[in-house]
Amino acid sequence: MKEIISCIFTFLFLLTQNLLFAQSSHDQFMRSNGKIYVVIGVLISIFIGLVLFMIFMERRLKKLEKELNENG
Amino acid sequence: MKHWWKILGIFLMIYSIVAGIGIPLKPGIYDASPSKANTGEQFTMNAVGYLTQFDKTPDDLRAWLKVGNDFAIAANSIGVKNESTLNVSFQIPNNLPTKDRVVDASLIIDSKKNGYAIFPSAVFITNTTQQTSPEGWNNSIADMHEFKSMAFPYRNILQETIRNLFYHVPLWFGMMIIFLISAINSGRFLMTKNQKFDHKASAYASVGTLFGILGLVTGAIWAKHTWGAYWSWDIKQNMSAIAMLVYLAYFVLRNSFEESEQSARIGAVYNIFAFVTLPMLLFVIPRLTDSLHPGNGGNPGFGGEDLDNNMRMVFYPAIIGFTLFGAWMATILYRIEDVKQRIEDRAFYE
Repeated sequence: MKEIISCIFTFLFLLTQNLLFAQSSHDQFMRSNGKIYVVIGVLISIFIGLVLFMIFMERRLKKLEKELNENG
Repeated sequence: MKHWWKILGIFLMIYSIVAGIGIPLKPGIYDASPSKANTGEQFTMNAVGYLTQFDKTPDDLRAWLKVGNDFAIAANSIGVKNESTLNVSFQIPNNLPTKDRVVDASLIIDSKKNGYAIFPSAVFITNTTQQTSPEGWNNSIADMHEFKSMAFPYRNILQETIRNLFYHVPLWFGMMIIFLISAINSGRFLMTKNQKFDHKASAYASVGTLFGILGLVTGAIWAKHTWGAYWSWDIKQNMSAIAMLVYLAYFVLRNSFEESEQSARIGAVYNIFAFVTLPMLLFVIPRLTDSLHPGNGGNPGFGGEDLDNNMRMVFYPAIIGFTLFGAWMATILYRIEDVKQRIEDRAFYE
């Protein structure tokens, strides 16, 4: 569980680093092909948001399972 | 089938992604240069089309420069370089039709195959004689063609990002509906004092906050490549960020009481007040001042050319799809909370 979260944060960190240091080429890329990559970026960020919410729900469920294992 | 609405929600989300990405844009004008001209000169400009097929029907191409609503000049020659590049020549009259020193003219290109396309403020024409006469200027724009196949409107600057309307805006519409369900559940909790409703209200508020934060993030990405910055301190951006803070405060408040009865009661009252502030923050205040968002301040609403019937056929299903998907996530979260409550109750009675 912890590995997955640290994996995701490392990925996001590298992604933002990449965006910060390669600002102009990133800008050029996002504006190519009629700015279609902006739409792709929006869809990916929605997907990442839904995945983070899944992780949030799984952690709550995990707590319950632990409680059941200890008491039941 | 008890789960029909979940299947419907997933189906509508897939439909909105497939149709929203798959349907092409109408042909449009991507760029035009040079952008400066003087009166009385023979002016040739290079127009670059987007998704156009100029070379297929070079003979029925027509072009105009349009000044204001009443004045236009037709092109005297159009040379087709390739499918997307044109050389358009105009003989600009000796005088301008209006009293301005400089006017901006829109470039209009029409053909049977591509339909008509407008590039706003393509050329700034300077009046060298400083005299005003409508001679040479007449509005000869007529018999425009519509692009026949199914397509979304091409808008300058927006371009393909017009598709974000199917993913950014439904997040906010879905958020409003989900927060409404949350507030209704808080009201039912206050009337019945049944903890079940408080857990439902909290679960729906969580999903609503997720949608709001995703709306802010997707809006920032869209803004970077159309307005020029991730955060332009636009009134609607600021107000929706404040709305998110209002809802984050709800979770802080709800979790800061030892006694669950008390936290549920205060949380429910706060949740109803938070929902009441939403229309003020998102719809009323942005209307009062200038905003970059369409439909606010001095801007026209997202309608007409921006939201045609083809887009509506994807936009409304997307709203329903996102809302149903959010409701599904909220029911799962509620069921986790409900099971937790039952385990605690059982431990208490034993």
